[in-house]
Amino acid sequence: MIRFKSIISRIVILHVIAVAITSVLMSVALSWLLSMATNNIHNEAMEEQAMSLAAHLALDANGGLTLELPPNLQGLYSQPYGRYSYAVVDEAGKTLFSSLPGKTAVFAADPRAGTVQFLETHIGDAAISGASVRRIVGGRTVWVQAAEDLANSDVLIDDIVDDFYKHVGWITLPILLLLLVIDIAIFRRALKPLRQASEIAQQIGPARTDIRLPLGEIPSEVRPLVSAINKALDRLDEGFRLQREFTADAAHELRTPLSILRTRVETLDDPRIAKALHLDIESMSRVVGQLLDIAELEAFAIDPAEVADLQAASAEVAGFIAPLALEQGREIALLGATTPVWVKGNAEMIKRAIRNLAENAIRHAPKDTVVEFVVEENGTVTVQDRGPGIPDEERELIFRRFWRRDRNQQGNSGLGLSIVQRIAELHGATIEVENRVMGGAQFSLHFIPAASYPKT
Amino acid sequence: MRLLVVEDNALLSELLAKGLRTAGYEVDLLATVAEARAVLMTTTYAAVILDLGLPDGDGLAILRELRHRKDSTPVLVLTARGGLQDRVSGLRSGADDYMVKPFALEELVARLEAQLRRPGQQLGNSLHIANLEFDLRGRQALIDDQPQVLSSRETAVLELLMRSKGRVVSKKQVEDHIFGLSGDVASNAVEVYVHRLRKQLSDKGAKVTIHTIRGVGYLIAEEKA
Repeated sequence: MIRFKSIISRIVILHVIAVAITSVLMSVALSWLLSMATNNIHNEAMEEQAMSLAAHLALDANGGLTLELPPNLQGLYSQPYGRYSYAVVDEAGKTLFSSLPGKTAVFAADPRAGTVQFLETHIGDAAISGASVRRIVGGRTVWVQAAEDLANSDVLIDDIVDDFYKHVGWITLPILLLLLVIDIAIFRRALKPLRQASEIAQQIGPARTDIRLPLGEIPSEVRPLVSAINKALDRLDEGFRLQREFTADAAHELRTPLSILRTRVETLDDPRIAKALHLDIESMSRVVGQLLDIAELEAFAIDPAEVADLQAASAEVAGFIAPLALEQGREIALLGATTPVWVKGNAEMIKRAIRNLAENAIRHAPKDTVVEFVVEENGTVTVQDRGPGIPDEERELIFRRFWRRDRNQQGNSGLGLSIVQRIAELHGATIEVENRVMGGAQFSLHFIPAASYPKT
Repeated sequence: MRLLVVEDNALLSELLAKGLRTAGYEVDLLATVAEARAVLMTTTYAAVILDLGLPDGDGLAILRELRHRKDSTPVLVLTARGGLQDRVSGLRSGADDYMVKPFALEELVARLEAQLRRPGQQLGNSLHIANLEFDLRGRQALIDDQPQVLSSRETAVLELLMRSKGRVVSKKQVEDHIFGLSGDVASNAVEVYVHRLRKQLSDKGAKVTIHTIRGVGYLIAEEKA
């Protein structure tokens, strides 16, 4: 079974088949009608000839029949001309007059035959066709037969029939093809609202869940499909809305009690217990924060027109994270570009990605080493450390949610890199993980460069 | 100095009050938008700590009204919403600072003080890191309570770093702070002043370190043992 990619190609193919079949059938039907018409003309001519012959029949003094033909008719039925023949037959089947040699009847007479009959016969090799007309002359019933040898029949009519096949028959094909072209144009016009609807549908994404397909121009046959799509979009939109609401509610329900716990611990009298509990709360707060980040990212969409300065974002993260790194005995350095590097995306999210990479690097870097951020003009930011690096077999695993090499490590939820990956996905950015020649891991985020500063 | 805390969670509100009172502030507690609106019409506070998710509305509404009246009382917004759009809209509405729950009380107090020390605000005496003190009124550095002689540029750098305690100050910020709009600045001028300041502080026995964060800026912190 052939599968058609488009409605138009389906229509064209089926239409071509229909045109082929129709043009054959039409030619056959037309030529049949034409030969019927020729036949009728011939029959009428023969009937008329028989009638005009009958007009010359007369009774003689003895009550017998005579046939006095004028010279022009004699010529028409003469043996040398050979094209036409006649005969007059009486009730007994006896041939009274005949133009044929041997004075035989043209058609074997049937006394019970009707008023007018069209008959065919063969004399020798010749096919004879003609009419037999009943006449009553002076109380005697006779049949006047007139016939034509078909081999000599009218040349003009024959030409028309032959010509029809050669030339006229072909006219049906271009007419049908023209019809096909017109049909395609009609269909394209009819499908135009659908194409427009598809173009609108193209713009629908997580960022634009409010768009609905217009029903106004849509043909009634397709309308149920389009309105079903719109309803599906309503449900999706609702899903996104619920997800966003859930994230906001969950944030509130989780963070407020954590705040209370934290504040309570900070006002404890025993500083040793306070410090221990404080660290626990810190790591729990981090996990909660990251979970909420992930929930938020699930329902987040980037405006395609948004651009961000990767250099500024990196500098901000480096500045934010440097005090924490110094506290843990690691240094931060920002290298590479010193002027703005515009990339497509949301600055807050890009910062979040870089921050998670940096936190990851600080965690794995040995004490008194430097975690370096390198920003390149092509829209790449690289975070590199001097830690143990990443074994090849773990390169995929590290991006999985909750995956950690050391499950007992405090403050590491195993969510950071999955957040980085999700943000990269949303930005159409790629992540590259490498081990450095001198030891350590290196994560590069390649963002899509934006042409220039955005129009404000 | 009197602060207003607008927070609907009674427990958190009490704990905040306790912490802030320990830090030396007087605190009024309110729990709804309506109450806060009424009180702020008649009373002026040194600063407002405002939770966004209140039972009768969004705390940002109060903030907008305050700014609409040209009231520049520092407002520190507290929220459970860490969302990107929320953060942006909070700051656009005129919040001076923004903290996402769960926050450390210590950090809240530090940020509050940073707001209160801004020019035109009420807190204005001195800043401390380890044995180093900076008297904001006299613009004088003291180590172990002994006044130190520093050049005016070095003093300016030290003041900026100490005002931004716990945060990185960019090289650009330092330049702007010491040279203002005076035009051409030698590219290594900041490095030179920071280097001199560092030497002065260590010579005089200050237990602080000025870290250079390459490509980012400078950070002053207590010296590690």
